[in-house]
Amino acid sequence: MLNFETTLQVSKSYGDLTLSEVEPILKINLRSNKREFSTKIGKLLSIIPPIEANTSSSNEDYSILWLSPDEWLIYSNNKISYEQQNLLEENLFKNISNINQGSVTNVTDHWVMINLKGSKIYDLLSKSSPYDFKNFKMKKGSVAQTLLNHTDVILHNTDDNNLNLFVRRSFSEDLWLWINDSARFL
Amino acid sequence: MFIINCPYCGERDQTEFSSGGEAHIVRPKQPTELSDDEWAEFLFMRKNIKGIQFERWNHSHGCRKWFNVVRDTSNDKIHAVYKMGEKPPVNK
Ligand SMILES: [Zn+2]
Repeated sequence: MLNFETTLQVSKSYGDLTLSEVEPILKINLRSNKREFSTKIGKLLSIIPPIEANTSSSNEDYSILWLSPDEWLIYSNNKISYEQQNLLEENLFKNISNINQGSVTNVTDHWVMINLKGSKIYDLLSKSSPYDFKNFKMKKGSVAQTLLNHTDVILHNTDDNNLNLFVRRSFSEDLWLWINDSARFL
Repeated sequence: MFIINCPYCGERDQTEFSSGGEAHIVRPKQPTELSDDEWAEFLFMRKNIKGIQFERWNHSHGCRKWFNVVRDTSNDKIHAVYKMGEKPPVNK
């Protein structure tokens, strides 16, 4: 596994707003339209992929985000080593991909996860997103895929005024700079 | 700017979507038997009318699924949204 240097190493605070990259955590993309897929994942991770749109399910170790009727993103709630990540990926691959129950793709290095917290996070996001956060911010566990400053993001409401933002690695520095720039004017 | 009701994610702003042009164009069963004109007709010619049009849209910055939209091109009023493979809800 390549050991990527990230450009976002520092955590920043602007008044009540704090942003920081969380690393290393595991991220895995799942795709399947098979009937037994859900129970398989349930057995492997003791967590069921949500069927309802724009929602997620979580246990102590992992969260599964709904991305599409046949696509989900799993990520670890806590930092875990690359060795542990590989073990889990292998286990999923063996029990899902290998027996044609769906696809398992390790997207750990594809997405960068930035944690945003503070009472002004939705003011910040609303500065450059077409998404209506009214329901999203009320419901813990909500998931939204939308645009932020013309960049694709996945947002996961983890708690009141606390969310995880996923952005593609190649866009992460640009978005990080935009967030920092915009946060000054909140 | 208008709102599109994605059949999978719900109401979202138009900027999250990409238009895929006219819907329900059937690929000819035997392309080899067509003349160049007939093939070009299938490949390139689209109606693009003023009024109610059947279109394909993709929620490219959301769930990335394709679906169909019945839209009035003169005022962007959306009359119906339905999934791929489903019958158009209004007379086509
Ligand atoms: Zn959608």
